[in-house]
Amino acid sequence: MTPSLILLFLVAFGAFGLALRRGVPTAKRALRETGQSIGRVLPLLLVAMPMAAFLSELIPADIASGWLGVESGLTGILIASLAGGLIPGGPYVSFPLVLSFLKAGAGGPQMVALITGWAILGFHRVIAWEWPVLGGRFVAVRMLSSIILPVLAGLLAAALLPLFPHALPRP
Amino acid sequence: MRNLLRRHSSVFLLGGISLIAGGLVRWLHGPEGFARALGVALDIFLAVLPAMLAGLLLAGSLKQIIPSGALAKWMGAESGWWGLGVATVAGMATPGGPMAAFPLVLVLAQAGADRGALIAFIVAWGLNGFQRVLVWEVPLLGADFALLRFLCGLPLGFVAGWLARRVPIDWSPPDTGAPPAAPAIGRRA
Repeated sequence: MTPSLILLFLVAFGAFGLALRRGVPTAKRALRETGQSIGRVLPLLLVAMPMAAFLSELIPADIASGWLGVESGLTGILIASLAGGLIPGGPYVSFPLVLSFLKAGAGGPQMVALITGWAILGFHRVIAWEWPVLGGRFVAVRMLSSIILPVLAGLLAAALLPLFPHALPRP
Repeated sequence: MRNLLRRHSSVFLLGGISLIAGGLVRWLHGPEGFARALGVALDIFLAVLPAMLAGLLLAGSLKQIIPSGALAKWMGAESGWWGLGVATVAGMATPGGPMAAFPLVLVLAQAGADRGALIAFIVAWGLNGFQRVLVWEVPLLGADFALLRFLCGLPLGFVAGWLARRVPIDWSPPDTGAPPAAPAIGRRA
């Protein structure tokens, strides 16, 4: 039990307590919602974990520690931003991948840029959802105003990293 | 049967990739490499599971106690930085995948939110959505990394919204024939 896990449980039980104060039906809805989410997330996790572990065995180590490594600097941040945009799928794909990259020696700012690129640029999501629902012009405005954000996040992370000495999980 | 496939298409797709990647690992690195990778996967799974259960309980409870609507009126073209801030908080509080979020953006647009606020909303939802941070990022990458990443993402919605108000492309919300000011989101207007 790490301190952050204990804190997370305390906050979760606190929120559930607030739902309970709204009445038993509200608390029941919260529990049903939680149960449904577990049913959705658990199967994904069960297949995504081996996938990420196998892929990290297959990905040449020098991609993580070289191209995206601690020493890769701004070039690594640029590569990571673009690569992030190309990762398809939900958080069950991207976060296990980032974990294996980090363990293989990728740099923190580069991984922040990768997650940001995946979350903001995610080209598959734009094509599948944003374009059909909001139209091409809106997508153009959003892309023009978002394209530099992953790089910005990476640079910000490089500046803030010294304040987070335990941010990078190492084997 | 087809329904089952559709509902769990992600599981089947990821499972398929797992099988192929696992086969390749066994072929290239032998049974020891295969067993080692499976051991790593099991370790991470067991480490992540409790945090994920807590995160899901938190997300499920928050959804019941926080009203999701009533914010569009604070997100108009004259709303300035305040509007971008409201949009950022609303985006972070919006749970669910793109199938829920993008239709909600359309609703906000038709209720009067301007393009800067809409884009700040999308960026904040995609990047810093509480549910995703709690359920996936904290358990998998650790609280320290997640906090660093979250802080780096916090100003981005403002940057994107500010830029979006200056991009010289005309855009008006698509008209779906719904009354423009309908309080369509949330349980309380």
